[in-house]
Amino acid sequence: MDLSLIEQLLTFITLPFQSFLTIEILLIFIILYIFLLYNEKRQNKKVKIALIALIIFFFSLLVFYFQEDIINVLSEIVRTVMRCFYFPNIIFYILTAIISLVILIYTMLKKNLVKLNKIITYTLTIIHLYLFTNFISLAISMNLSLIDTANIYQHDNMFVIVLVSQIIFIILIIYKVIYHFCYIRHEKLKNR
Amino acid sequence: MWLKDQKMQRKSRNIKSQLSKVGFFFLIVGILVFLSTPLRILKDEVFEEMRLAIFQLNINENNNTTINNVNTENLEVTVENNQEAEENDKKANYSYIGELSIPKINLRRGFVSKESRYNNIEYNVTIANEADYPDVPMGNFILMAHSGNAYISFFDKLYRLEIGDEASVSYNANTYNYRLTNIYNQAKTGTVAIYRDPTKKTLTLITCTHNDDYNQTIYIFEEI
Repeated sequence: MDLSLIEQLLTFITLPFQSFLTIEILLIFIILYIFLLYNEKRQNKKVKIALIALIIFFFSLLVFYFQEDIINVLSEIVRTVMRCFYFPNIIFYILTAIISLVILIYTMLKKNLVKLNKIITYTLTIIHLYLFTNFISLAISMNLSLIDTANIYQHDNMFVIVLVSQIIFIILIIYKVIYHFCYIRHEKLKNR
Repeated sequence: MWLKDQKMQRKSRNIKSQLSKVGFFFLIVGILVFLSTPLRILKDEVFEEMRLAIFQLNINENNNTTINNVNTENLEVTVENNQEAEENDKKANYSYIGELSIPKINLRRGFVSKESRYNNIEYNVTIANEADYPDVPMGNFILMAHSGNAYISFFDKLYRLEIGDEASVSYNANTYNYRLTNIYNQAKTGTVAIYRDPTKKTLTLITCTHNDDYNQTIYIFEEI
């Protein structure tokens, strides 16, 4: 951590040659890269399929050898997502409010949106922002420090407000993703 | 004739597309069902973390000190009453008075007071009625919890412990450190005899023996 820039560079350069395994990994990736580049010229379908199979095989091998670590990492990722959902820290919560606000303003300014889409977006964003405002006002009235999450969630009403607003936010995001997916598909079909 | 063929083709394409949608739907449902149990376990862990954080916060506020530890207790649980336990826990609202921590098996679990109705094997690591609290000189702090693979199997990894492993208990703004000195089994008869050095402060953990339906294991820790 306390390395100078040159030391960092040197460490990075010597990194692939620290053991036989690292050299092996480096070679595999170089060969893969060369094959990919070469095949761009040749455009051979069989080589393409073989390369995809090779990549899948290589990563399956990694998964097989490090499955416990990978499961641990995946569990930690899911746990982090759950923490963000059930007990988001104030920065994450403010971020969701900003996203909601941006979506609201974008929907207001965009002219060629379907009315139903606008109504649904307005409903979800307004509820979300209302809950966020409510959360802040409650925190101020209870004189809570928003830095410590435990401090926030020891109060049941704060927990409920955040939980409901997170659910609304997720519904909003899922709705937006599905809508845009369908919309883009619809537009493509129209153009055909 | 040509129009008829086209209509037929369109119809079969529609059926295929609808079938693929139904297939996709069932695939998603299947994945969700498959992942529901591990996700629920992870969710419980996240809630447990927050409960411990709140417990620590309250301790810090009351005593102006820092605490890093948890507790335990055990018995056996079946998959049938697992769901009931989960339902109970969802309705439960309690705060911890202390925490048991066993770093070797990544166990970190809060415990409630003996008087609390949540000092129950179906909710928490439970303090035995006969137990002394950790601050009692030469006392024996006894904790019990389920083992196995159920939601409330807080002591499911105790069997990995070996003599010399360490545990600690946080209680009343103090941390009590213990070392495992004895492990023994007893038949499940509804009672358990605890063999310990009465001149030392001890921590006793009781749970069902790993892969054994007829015995329970007692872990005796002595204060370091």
